[in-house]
Amino acid sequence: MIVAWAALGIALALLFDLGLGRFAPGATRFIDPLLLPLAAYALRRSQRSAMVVGCVSGLLQDYWMEPRLFGLNGLVKSVLGWALGAFGARFDLNRIGGRFAAGASVHLVGTVLDAAVRRLFGEALVPVPIWVLVVRTVFGGLLTAGVLAIVGRAAQVRGPARPPRRRT
Amino acid sequence: MVFGQLLLIAGSAREGLATSTAAGAVGAVSRPVTAAERSLSSILVGFVHLFRDLNADESERTTLRREVTRLSGELDRRKELDVENERLRRLLGMREDLAPRSIGAAVVTLRLTDQSRVVIIDRGSAAGVRPDMAVVAWGGAVGRVVSVERDFARVRLLTDPSSGAAGVILRSRAAGMVVGRGAGPMDMVYVPKYDDVVLGDRVVTSGVDGVFPRGFGLGRVSVVGEPVGASKTIRIEPEVDERSLEDVLVLLEPKGTTLLTGEDQATQP
Repeated sequence: MIVAWAALGIALALLFDLGLGRFAPGATRFIDPLLLPLAAYALRRSQRSAMVVGCVSGLLQDYWMEPRLFGLNGLVKSVLGWALGAFGARFDLNRIGGRFAAGASVHLVGTVLDAAVRRLFGEALVPVPIWVLVVRTVFGGLLTAGVLAIVGRAAQVRGPARPPRRRT
Repeated sequence: MVFGQLLLIAGSAREGLATSTAAGAVGAVSRPVTAAERSLSSILVGFVHLFRDLNADESERTTLRREVTRLSGELDRRKELDVENERLRRLLGMREDLAPRSIGAAVVTLRLTDQSRVVIIDRGSAAGVRPDMAVVAWGGAVGRVVSVERDFARVRLLTDPSSGAAGVILRSRAAGMVVGRGAGPMDMVYVPKYDDVVLGDRVVTSGVDGVFPRGFGLGRVSVVGEPVGASKTIRIEPEVDERSLEDVLVLLEPKGTTLLTGEDQATQP
């Protein structure tokens, strides 16, 4: 059941990502919808599940959107899942402020990691303007906080929430 | 997990995405999602068009739009050929390019981040699309096909930082290499510093890269940089608005000028 929910979450995020690219392609510069299931599993489940969800969603993104380095987004999102899962296990980030901080940080750190891995493999890079980083961080935080609030509300309606697993 | 993905990246960097079995597996499981996205997109676009113009027949409009795109590209090439015609006629052994065969394709989705700029189109190997084919649209060159699946292909846009195309200033014939810089204008590098370039000059493909035929628009000069060494860098505003791409043409025959081999040269008069 957990796998089915994860697959559904990733599929919806991919659908959102592809739809965003079709109807508002400029927005893909600022928002990465496939970070949402990663953040949800890091804050609500375990570090391991966040890594797996990040890896799968990253590989899907690589397949559809990455012209050259297959595995780049998978690697970046696995590392992000590992890091955010570790923070989620130690601190209570499952509130509005924590969700915003989690979403903002994965969007920011994800951009930096993406550039670092590209550089590692000899890809051409362009400097990302500071204002783009700021907008991306704020939008990412707001989107994550909003989506996780909806997911939390839906989980409450569905039944009593299970205590999150804190295994790291 | 991390080590495995590092191996994947290294493998794809060496051999390309198309050769990766893992990529194929990922694509197979995610294909229903993209099919759903395309269906939802078409429904949404259909509704938008229905409300925008109730009298227009959607299929006819799509056909006409593709036809206009094709003719516009053709006209662009003709203008360029007219300018060059006189000069080319004087040169013995110069082969003139014919209009390349092409197929129309619809844009499925775009990803326009700073480090990666890609378009997915709905034609793949089944329609005869192959890697390294040129993709053009209304106004000029768009990018080149980097990998192909059966029913779709990935196109790296000219503004991608890893992209490059041989360009030439239409007015003065100053040549250089046009490279992407992510979002925003492109750079034309390796332009000889004494060549005549002014603001507003139009840059078109020169055909020497072997991918793009000559004469497709790349952009207009917006900044002429100070010479560094023997060359100068020019900033170009792209001619094609990537964000509004809907239909493109894939040129099935690369018609860029190929380098003459020793045997070819021997047969030249």
